[in-house]
Amino acid sequence: MEKYRNIAKSILDKLQSRGADMAHCTVQESEMREFNVDGNEFSLFRTLFNRYIGITAFIGGKKGSVSINRFDDEAIGEAIENCISAASVATPDTAWELANGNGEHCFKSGATVPDTEKLFFRTKELLNDIHTRHPKIMVEQMIVKHICAKSVYMSTTGNCYLSERGKYVSELMYSAHEGDKSTSFFGSDVTVTDLDKPFIDCALIERELTDIENQIDSAATEGKFTGKVIFTPACLVSTVFGNICGNFVSDSVLLEGTSLWKDKLGQKVADERITVSFNPSDKRIVNGERYTGEGYLSEDYDLIRDGVLQSFMLSKYVANKTGNLRAKNSSFALIIEAGETPLEEMIKSIDKGVIIGRFSGGSPGTNGEFSGVAKNGFMIENGKITHALSETMISGNLADMLNNLVAISKETLVDGTVVAPYMAFDGITVSGK
Amino acid sequence: MLKDIITPKKVLFASDAHTELRGQLSRSRGATLVSGNLTGNSRQDISGISARVYKNGTYGFSSMAEYSPEAAEAVLRAATENAEFMDKHVNKGKPALPAVACGKQTLQNDIPDIEQKLYVDFAKSIDGYVSSKYKNLVSRTIAAREDSMEKLLCVSNGFDSHTCLQRSYLYVILNAETNNGVPVELFHAFGGEGGFGVNFQNPESLYSEIDALYERLMQKREGIYADAGEKTVVLGGMMTGMLAHEAVGHTVEADLVLGGSVAGPNLNKQVASELVSLTDFANTAFGEKAPLPVYVDDEGVKATDAKIIENGMLVGYMNNRESAQHFGMTPCGNARAWAFSDEPLIRMRNTAILPGKDKLEDIIASVDDGYYLIDSSNGQADTTGEFMFGVSMGYEIKNGKLGRALLDTTISGVAFNMLKTVDMVSDTVTWASSGVCGKKQPMPVGMGGPALRCKVMIGGR
Repeated sequence: MEKYRNIAKSILDKLQSRGADMAHCTVQESEMREFNVDGNEFSLFRTLFNRYIGITAFIGGKKGSVSINRFDDEAIGEAIENCISAASVATPDTAWELANGNGEHCFKSGATVPDTEKLFFRTKELLNDIHTRHPKIMVEQMIVKHICAKSVYMSTTGNCYLSERGKYVSELMYSAHEGDKSTSFFGSDVTVTDLDKPFIDCALIERELTDIENQIDSAATEGKFTGKVIFTPACLVSTVFGNICGNFVSDSVLLEGTSLWKDKLGQKVADERITVSFNPSDKRIVNGERYTGEGYLSEDYDLIRDGVLQSFMLSKYVANKTGNLRAKNSSFALIIEAGETPLEEMIKSIDKGVIIGRFSGGSPGTNGEFSGVAKNGFMIENGKITHALSETMISGNLADMLNNLVAISKETLVDGTVVAPYMAFDGITVSGK
Repeated sequence: MLKDIITPKKVLFASDAHTELRGQLSRSRGATLVSGNLTGNSRQDISGISARVYKNGTYGFSSMAEYSPEAAEAVLRAATENAEFMDKHVNKGKPALPAVACGKQTLQNDIPDIEQKLYVDFAKSIDGYVSSKYKNLVSRTIAAREDSMEKLLCVSNGFDSHTCLQRSYLYVILNAETNNGVPVELFHAFGGEGGFGVNFQNPESLYSEIDALYERLMQKREGIYADAGEKTVVLGGMMTGMLAHEAVGHTVEADLVLGGSVAGPNLNKQVASELVSLTDFANTAFGEKAPLPVYVDDEGVKATDAKIIENGMLVGYMNNRESAQHFGMTPCGNARAWAFSDEPLIRMRNTAILPGKDKLEDIIASVDDGYYLIDSSNGQADTTGEFMFGVSMGYEIKNGKLGRALLDTTISGVAFNMLKTVDMVSDTVTWASSGVCGKKQPMPVGMGGPALRCKVMIGGR
C-alpha cells in the first residue's frame, strides 16, 4: 500500500508544482481470476493483472482528467503533462469542488484473497446443479470470477483513503429449450464475499431457473387491456427504479433542467408505502462504496421515504450548479423496503394482469413514458398464473405508476448489489396482437 | 506506436498447443459540453500484453498491464498454466484447431494523436453555433470523441499482424419540448474511421447538417403518435442496419448458436424474403472501404466477408476458429478483443443487408397508409430473434406521400418472420459506425442497409 501512496503523493506534488490549485488521483492494482462456460461447456480460465492511475487537476476552476495503466516514471510524467494541458484548455467553472480535510481512512472488506480451487468447484457445481435440477436450461454463458483490488485515493484537499477489497461474482445467462421451442434469454447474477453456499442457493437463482423452464410453452396476448403488473425484483430495479433515477433525480436531468421532479424535494412523489434508499454500508451490500468520486466519505441516504422525495442523486458539481445538496453517496446500493404481502397473495389478488421478469424497451423519455416488450413473463387471470407470455407489450408512465401501487412483497432479492422486493402497480397498458 | 517486442517470444510458444500473444494500446480522448458546461475533458491511454493458449478444447488466458518482454514471458507462462488447469479439471479431449492461412499483415495507416485543445475548441465552436442560432431548445449536448485500438499479434498458426482501428465522432444531441411539455430529442453522429484531426477540420462544414437536424426536431415537436398495430412501414437505412445487427447478427454469432439461438435449427432454411441478403463485411463493401475495416482478427485469421443470408436463405454463421471447427465452416475473422486484457469473442464487423433495385421515392410512393421510419434511438433483441427498436424519427405516409412527423415510438417483431414480409429493397445503403456493441466486452462495429418495405408491429402511445 505504501507504494501506491508514494505514487499518489508524487503525482499530486508534481501537479501542484505545474500550476494545479486542486487535484486528486487514484492509484490501483487489481487481480481477477475468471472461469467461463459457453453453451453448457467450460471454455476459458483467465487471470488478469491490472493497474490504473486516474488523475484530475483543476487550474483556476478549469478541469482536466487523464487515466493510464502504467506505473513507470515516463508514463506518469506524460500523464501529468497531459492532465495539465487538458485543464489549461478547459472552460473555468467555479462549481467544481472536492471534499476537504477528511484525513486518512483505511477500508478493508470482502474476500481479499481468492480460493481458486473452491471457485472452480462452486462453478462446476452450479453447472451440474442446473443440469440435474433444470434439464431444459441451456447455459448460454456463465462467468464466475474473483476480483480483488488495492488502491489509494488522495487529494490535495486533505483526503487519503486506502482500500483493500475483494469479492466473488457469478453471472449466468441462460434460456430453456425443448425440441424446437425455446424461451427468451435471462440473466441471474450474484456477488458474495465467501464461497460457503452453492451458487444456486444464492439470491433468487433457483427460482429464476424454475420460472424460465416454465416459460417454454407461451402464448401471445390477444387485444389490449389496462391492468396490474407485478415486476420481479430484478426487473423492478432495472426497469422501474433504474429509469426513475436516470430520468428524474440524476446529474444530467437536473443539470439540463428536464427532470419532472426538479421542484419536488420534500413532496409526495409515490405511494406512502414506498421507501427507497441508497445504503452502501448495509451488510447485504458487498463492498459498498466508502467514498465518492469527489472524495466525500459515503453515508447512507433515503431517496424516497414513505412516498416523499428526500434527495436527488447529485454530485457536488451539479449540486453547486443547481443550488441543491449533493447526494450522500454516489453508489447504486439500492435498498427498496419490503412489504407485508407474500408474493402468492399478490398474485391471488389480481383478476387480470401480468408478471414480468425483464423489459425490452426504449429508454423512457424525461416525461417517464415507457413502452416495450414484456419478457420472461406470465399472464395472471382470476388470481392464478395461466400461461407464459410471448409477443406482449406493456406501456405506462413511471411517475404515475409510483402512485398506483397495488402491493409490495415480503420476499426480496438480495444479490450483493441491491435489495428489492416484487412490486405490483395498476393502470399499465398490456397489449398483444 | 507499439514497438515489436512480441515476435521474439514466438520461440516460447508450446508445440502441443495453439498460442496467441497480443500487445495492445487503446486510447480514448473526449470533450463533452452539456448546455455549455464542459462536463467532460479527458484522455486515456491503456496498454498491456496478453496471451491465450488452446489445449484440448479449453483456453487459458492471462494479461498484464505492462508492455515489456518480461510481461510477455509472464503471461505466456500464466496462460499455459491456466490451459493446463482447465485440461486437467475439464478434460474435453478435443482435437487441435484446424490450420488457417499464414502470413503477415503490416500496419496500413498512421495513428495521429492530437492535443486536447482541438477537441475542446471544436466542441465549443459547434456549441456556440447551436446556442446562438437555435432558441427553441431545452438543452443541448455536444461531444467530441476519438478512440483507437492498436494491436500487435503473434500466433502459432495464422497471420501475425500489426493493425490499428481508429475512429472519431462529433455527437450532437438536441432536446426540445412539444407544446404539451412532451420531451423530444434528436441525435446525430458525424465522423467515422480516422483521427479527429483528419475528420474534423472545419466546424462550418457541419452547419448545414446540424440545421437539418434542428429542422427535423422542430417537425417532431409538432409530431403525432403513431397508430398502434401491424403496419406497412418503410425502414430507412439506419433502421435496417439496426435490424441487421441486433435482430439477425447476434443470433448468427456461433457462440450464441451453440447457446441455443434461433439460428441453430434454421441453417439452410428460408428465413427471409428472397429479396433479402445479409453479409458481415470484413474491410471492403460495395467496392469501397467498409466503415470500420478489419484485416486480421485477434486469432490470426485473415478477415474475409461472412455471408449470412443469401436470397432469403440462412447460409452461415459468424465464427471463431473453434466454432468453425464445430460447424464445419470456414472462419472469416470475426474473433475480436476490446482491451489488451480481453480474450477474443465472436463479434460482428460491418454487418449489412445488401441493396436491391428499388428507388426510395418509389417505395414511399407505393405505401397508401403507413410510416417511414428513419432513425433509431436504441435497439434490443433476443436470441429468439424477437426485437424491439426505439424509433426516434419518422413520418406518416398517406397515399404515397410523407405527412406529419412522429413522436418517439417503438417497433417490435420476430426477425425471421418480419424479414419474410420484405417486398421492396432500395438501391442505396446507409451506414452507421459511431456506437459500440455490448457482449461481455464493448466493440466498435459498423451496421448498415438499404430502405426496406415490410410489415412490422408499431407501438402507439
